Amino acid sequence: MGIYVLKRVLLAIPTLLVASLLIFSLVHMAPGGPIRVMLGQLQDPELIERLRHQLGLDLPLYQQYAKWMGNLLRGDLGFSITVHRGAPVAALIGQRISVTMELAAFSMVIALLIAIPAGIVSALRQNRLSDHVARLIALAGVSIPNFFLGIVLILIFGVYLRQPWGAGGFVPLSRGLGKNLAHLVLPAIALGTAYAAIIMRMMRSAMLDVMGQDYVRTARAMGIGWYSIVRQDIVKNALIPVITVIGNSIGYLLGGSIVTETVFRLPGVGNLVINGIFRRDFPVIQAVVLFIVVLRIVINLVVDLTYGVLDPRIRYGGAE
Amino acid sequence: MSAVLLSIEGLVTRFYTELGVVKAVDGNSLHLAGRESLGVVGESGSGKTVTALSVMRLIENPGRIEGGRILFRGEDLLEKTERQMRRIRGKDIAMVFQDSLSSLNPTLTIGEQIARVLKFHLRLSKKERWRRTVDLLAQVGIPEPEQRVKHYPHQFSGGMRQRALIAMAISCTPALLILDEPTTALDVTIEAQIFELVEGLKQEFGMGTFLITHDLSVVATFCDRVVIMYAGKIVEEAPVLELYDRPLHPYTRGLLGSIPPLEGGKARLDSIPGEVPDLISLPPGCNFSPRCGLADERCWREEPPLESPAPGRRVACWKAGELG
Amino acid sequence: MAERRVQTGDYELGAHRSLLQEFWHNFKKNKLSLAGAFIVLCYAVMAIFAPLLAPYNPVEQFDAPRGVRNPMPPLSRDVDGRLFLLGTDKFGRDILSRAIYGTRTLLELAVGSIAIAMVLGVAMGAVAGYRKGTWVDELIMRLVDIMLSFPTLVLAIALVGAFGIGSVKIGPFTLSNLVKIMLVIAITYSPRFARVMRAVVLQEMAEDYVVAAKVTGASGLRILTREVLVNTIPTIIVQGSLMMATTVLTSASLSFLGLGLQPPRPSLGLMLNEARDYLFWGAWWYVIVPGGLITLAILGFNLLGDGLRDSLDPRQARRVRR
Repeated sequence: MGIYVLKRVLLAIPTLLVASLLIFSLVHMAPGGPIRVMLGQLQDPELIERLRHQLGLDLPLYQQYAKWMGNLLRGDLGFSITVHRGAPVAALIGQRISVTMELAAFSMVIALLIAIPAGIVSALRQNRLSDHVARLIALAGVSIPNFFLGIVLILIFGVYLRQPWGAGGFVPLSRGLGKNLAHLVLPAIALGTAYAAIIMRMMRSAMLDVMGQDYVRTARAMGIGWYSIVRQDIVKNALIPVITVIGNSIGYLLGGSIVTETVFRLPGVGNLVINGIFRRDFPVIQAVVLFIVVLRIVINLVVDLTYGVLDPRIRYGGAE
Repeated sequence: MSAVLLSIEGLVTRFYTELGVVKAVDGNSLHLAGRESLGVVGESGSGKTVTALSVMRLIENPGRIEGGRILFRGEDLLEKTERQMRRIRGKDIAMVFQDSLSSLNPTLTIGEQIARVLKFHLRLSKKERWRRTVDLLAQVGIPEPEQRVKHYPHQFSGGMRQRALIAMAISCTPALLILDEPTTALDVTIEAQIFELVEGLKQEFGMGTFLITHDLSVVATFCDRVVIMYAGKIVEEAPVLELYDRPLHPYTRGLLGSIPPLEGGKARLDSIPGEVPDLISLPPGCNFSPRCGLADERCWREEPPLESPAPGRRVACWKAGELG
Repeated sequence: MAERRVQTGDYELGAHRSLLQEFWHNFKKNKLSLAGAFIVLCYAVMAIFAPLLAPYNPVEQFDAPRGVRNPMPPLSRDVDGRLFLLGTDKFGRDILSRAIYGTRTLLELAVGSIAIAMVLGVAMGAVAGYRKGTWVDELIMRLVDIMLSFPTLVLAIALVGAFGIGSVKIGPFTLSNLVKIMLVIAITYSPRFARVMRAVVLQEMAEDYVVAAKVTGASGLRILTREVLVNTIPTIIVQGSLMMATTVLTSASLSFLGLGLQPPRPSLGLMLNEARDYLFWGAWWYVIVPGGLITLAILGFNLLGDGLRDSLDPRQARRVRR
């Protein structure tokens, strides 16, 4: 088990390095830089040159990369150029990350609370009406783009039903948990629906796989009661692959939050990176994308480790 | 010998697949007395496992038990509710399956899996259950049972796992023990040990045993009587020594002829020409006729009934006893 | 014609159909897949015959009658009495026409990007699988892993950010915006193809017929192309159709964020974005029409993809259950 962990961790490091290189290159490949955005119509070449030098943009690319990496390791993510002039990016991310995290967590909770029981029931009642209905709903959930769903929800709850929490916007925790959660319900539903659908399908599929296994037959042959079999043989084994999917799909939540935050005007990290792209704010784009990727890699790592803990075959090695 | 423990009468089990109806068990009857050991021999597809699963009422979609009676201790199992069957399974009738690795839950320890069976059938305290589980493991010859009880199935070797499965099966001292090819995946020395173990348990607990195998050599040492099945039908039945001495059915002779002398080991069945038949489209006459060296017009046209040429013997063949 | 065997418990039954017949038989039975195919067909028709179907020029702006402002609801008329079946957008452009042309672009993007992604992914995966264990394999798969560690939308956004919004100049060539987006999406999704392709290639190479071919002296490359690749086609088709749905989603998301096709070109995602400002006007048609079309397209491809997968994978279609 120890080797398993070590292998996974070591593998992550070069991945991170190359990812950072990739991000850096992508960002700096972009035509037009922050300078043009900042100066707007002004075309004074001397001013442009001075700004470039000031921002360190006139150095050769590899030097810029090295500087960036060096700073990163010291916790310095650079300073925003156009979105919030001069603000340390780390601080910007820090402020906004809690919003994104709350949204993602809320989405996940709602999604799992619905998807896992739905998947279990669907598999147990395979091919009956409830199964077909559940599968159709899951299909719809996967097919509706989250921004469309979000806008429709705003239309229903914000416009037609005139609920104050139905129009987006964020209320920080300091002003009350109730309001805070209320404003996050619709975004969480919009973001979490596709996630829930994927999980539900996976759960159902894993359950059906396990139900056909020999050890379920053994349990029945020993006269074990059906509820016990469902709990200890079927669900327990079916959850293992599902946990992996849950973890891996968090990437979807991270990406989707960009769109959801835009729709509901939430001051999160996704919102920040979109602004950064439109305004060519390299430090912001680099830092946020890297952050998301690092998060994703870390989560994958955690999922792998969890898998190792859950499956006794990995936890305890082979036959003696 | 004690009274009849299990009596299967005219059992018909069919599978309704998209490609047609599979007549897995086609009107078979056999019986087993308490403390007796019956061997059921045949190639894969002959219906032997399906017979056992029918007794346990574990036949599932698309399979269905369509006819006959299964009398266990005088009561027809086919008339019982699922709830009643659950109380019988594992307690009065127990089954040991072929592939021990896939037959055990990989996420529960061996101890937990055995204790669960005890929990469902016996009224024991938790402590007593664990004590009994450890004892069972010791009884089936697993060393260091107190440690092993906390191990997971994949941490056992094949032979040990099979012993654990046997432990699970005998945990509630069943009257009837069904073994479905328990040693096919194990090598010869381990196989011998397993059968020694089961023989010992059989004597100690006085169980009737129903052994399913495709290996005639194993049957010789372990069973009192043998039933030979082919393509869903019983083709011969005899006390074991008589079967070896004077086999009546050409198929039996084919099986016996393919046992290598003295060394033992697995019976190789490829000395019988032809292949296992397609159970959806069977010939009108005797099922074995396409592969039988003695087959004639009548064999092809008419199905031979199961007759009893001598007490304790049955055979279904127009050419019974004729040498080829 | 490949023969297939079905297992039920201990029994092996011979099946007497070719893979293609088997597939069609299964596919026909599944009503949902047929529905999916029908939807996709309708979309294809809409895309191909767009100029004939659209009542107006999608970029032409019309004036609303006195006292009314754009966007107008469905069945309204403009100042000259023209009828707009699905209403107008904020600039007075016909929603129906824009929707039809927008759908056409959506499909063009989907098909184009999947095609490129397939080519890229299949090439990478086949090479990696064929040279399994060597540094080529390692390199390609590491690259694939790294690309997969980016959530798809993030990667697509980053790539768009890199290439720039609007058309792109690479040396003497100018890539139109459309092509650029196709490339972005293709690059984003090719790692998935590569992975699947590699797995399938490895699987096929372990099969007996490949070993047999090698023994009879067939050269490596010949084995690869003739035998192995042909057998990977069903998997590629299934993956392709499943990914069509997600590529549509990604390209719509990009449009919605303003990173896709630029105005005034009709784009369903962009229409949704424009609609946000008019929600409190109650401009539901501005939302439902483009959103519904996107959703239906994704649904159609999902149904089709699921159906193809279930029909081509015999094991999936016929498992025996409780």
